[in-house]
Amino acid sequence: MQAQNLQLDGAIDAIRLRFGSHALTRAAELPPPQPWPSGTPLDSLTGIGGLPRGRLSLLTGSGTCGKLSLALALLAHATHEFAHATVIDGGGFDPWNLLPFYPELSALTVVRAPAPEIAGESAAALARAGAGFILLMSEVPEHWLGPLESGANRSGTVLVGVVDAPGRALAHASSFSLALSRTEWVWERGQLVGIRVTARCSKNRVAPPLGETALEIRYPLGARPASDHLVHIVESRVDVQEVAPCISAVV
Amino acid sequence: MHICCGLTGHLELARRPDLYGTPVIVGRWDEHVVAASEETLPFGVMPGMALRQAEHLCPQATFVLPDEEATARIRELVSAALYDLAPVVEVREEGIAWLDISGVATAGQSIRAARHRLSKAIGREPRLGLAPGPFSARLAASRARPGRLLRVADAREFLAPLPSRELPLNSEQLERLDLLGLRTLGAVATIGPRELESQLGRDGRRAALLARGLEPDQLVPWLPPLFTSAHRQFGDPVEDREALLFVARALCGDLAEELGLRGAGAKHVRVRLLFESSGDEKRESVVRHPLSSVAELFGLIGSWIKEWQPRAPITELWIELPVLEAAGRRQLRLWAGGDGTSEEVIAAMERIQERFGDAVVHRPKPAFVSSPIPSERFA
Repeated sequence: MQAQNLQLDGAIDAIRLRFGSHALTRAAELPPPQPWPSGTPLDSLTGIGGLPRGRLSLLTGSGTCGKLSLALALLAHATHEFAHATVIDGGGFDPWNLLPFYPELSALTVVRAPAPEIAGESAAALARAGAGFILLMSEVPEHWLGPLESGANRSGTVLVGVVDAPGRALAHASSFSLALSRTEWVWERGQLVGIRVTARCSKNRVAPPLGETALEIRYPLGARPASDHLVHIVESRVDVQEVAPCISAVV
Repeated sequence: MHICCGLTGHLELARRPDLYGTPVIVGRWDEHVVAASEETLPFGVMPGMALRQAEHLCPQATFVLPDEEATARIRELVSAALYDLAPVVEVREEGIAWLDISGVATAGQSIRAARHRLSKAIGREPRLGLAPGPFSARLAASRARPGRLLRVADAREFLAPLPSRELPLNSEQLERLDLLGLRTLGAVATIGPRELESQLGRDGRRAALLARGLEPDQLVPWLPPLFTSAHRQFGDPVEDREALLFVARALCGDLAEELGLRGAGAKHVRVRLLFESSGDEKRESVVRHPLSSVAELFGLIGSWIKEWQPRAPITELWIELPVLEAAGRRQLRLWAGGDGTSEEVIAAMERIQERFGDAVVHRPKPAFVSSPIPSERFA
């Protein structure tokens, strides 16, 4: 392990010698982005105590793995915190699904984007204008990712994307990626009441370290008072891996 | 009142930034010197003197013909650049920019931004002065180093030791002041306005008030330009939509270029089609976010033309921008931090609606939330 570290240090020194001292920067040495405390277990995974403002965070995972529930929980929280929480909807978003998270609907705007081009242009325009929170539930063409990133960076917009598997461009544009995978269904008295998922931080350009946590997502069931109609996301176990300090290349 | 003044040198000189650092004299032959660079001052060249005399004093200077139109355009650009930094902005062709920053929440930021924008627009660092009025602010700026700010708390105290020739009086009046032994502004300030008025006329009264730091002059606020248009008359009536789009794009390009020069954006867009048979058709829209680039203008106008069904061949196409404002600049955010952002987000949403239709942006309001039919749940 020590030999590997020495080799890595040697490689870093070689790159810095050849391309300059700013070619490689340890993530821990980069100025951290301002966090937005989302009130979800994600805050402990980003390493800065919240989702990064002005950066793109991705929730990924195939099939039913809780990414949409998590995104809706973030959106509902954002409607209380920001004047404008926006959903860029490629089709399939129903505000009714948000109600169990107790949102402030007056702050919610849904942009129906039937084509990725519309989604990209709308997201970039809103990020540039300074919308507080944008939930991307649509594909964004590659040529809109640059304006989207720079607009969000300038205004401090919290950008969260929900995708099954991100394309290369989207994965590259994201600063924080969380890969969710379902571990088991939760059954009570023969009824499906939730899922347990593993949330693993697969990319973190905002702060080391990478980490992993286990979440239990409880679905609302039956006729209950509105106050009980909350989806519960419980963090059952947090396992932050002490991996080697993350290195980010600044080109 | 808090006035920030930025001095940049005459705007005629800003037309030729390549000559910065060398002696330059602007004026027409057989006329007077309009502007002279700082480098000509040691030779005794002053604006207002005969150009022949200036040539005699400083033969090595570069002589440039004045261009009033270009200078006015630079003035417009500088005014537009400073418009959102203070509620009242006045720029003069002599190279004086005044910003009334009274009541501005982030006055320090406005001054820093003014320095940056003036430097960018003119190509050299401005001298800055901050004082209770325009006159004292200008004098403070003239005594500051390039890129630095000279702050004046008490105008009368600051003005007292300065020479009386700084007063805006003609040479005869200044000579008279000199004969009266009033060689400093402090000396002028001891004379009552009425007494000086009896000696120098109405200008004397104003001079006495200025010397006392009472600042009788108000700034004349710059307002964004109001109207512009472009049109094309077709030799043969046009029926082809593609040809119409092509011409519309060219007109949008012309308008965008003009808007860029004036630092303005369109708040209201109107398109008129004139037909071979008499009559016309028009379409217009008010936009929240000013449109200034070709892409923005043609994005809106092109979408109209694509779905337009003209009733006859078209002989003329008019694009009118009846309401203009400084592009991307609003004074709203001067008063409270962040208030402008919400307005910008709403404006961005309206632009998305203009581009892609009203149905694209939806603000869900609960209607019959418990309805089994999804479309009935939200209005």
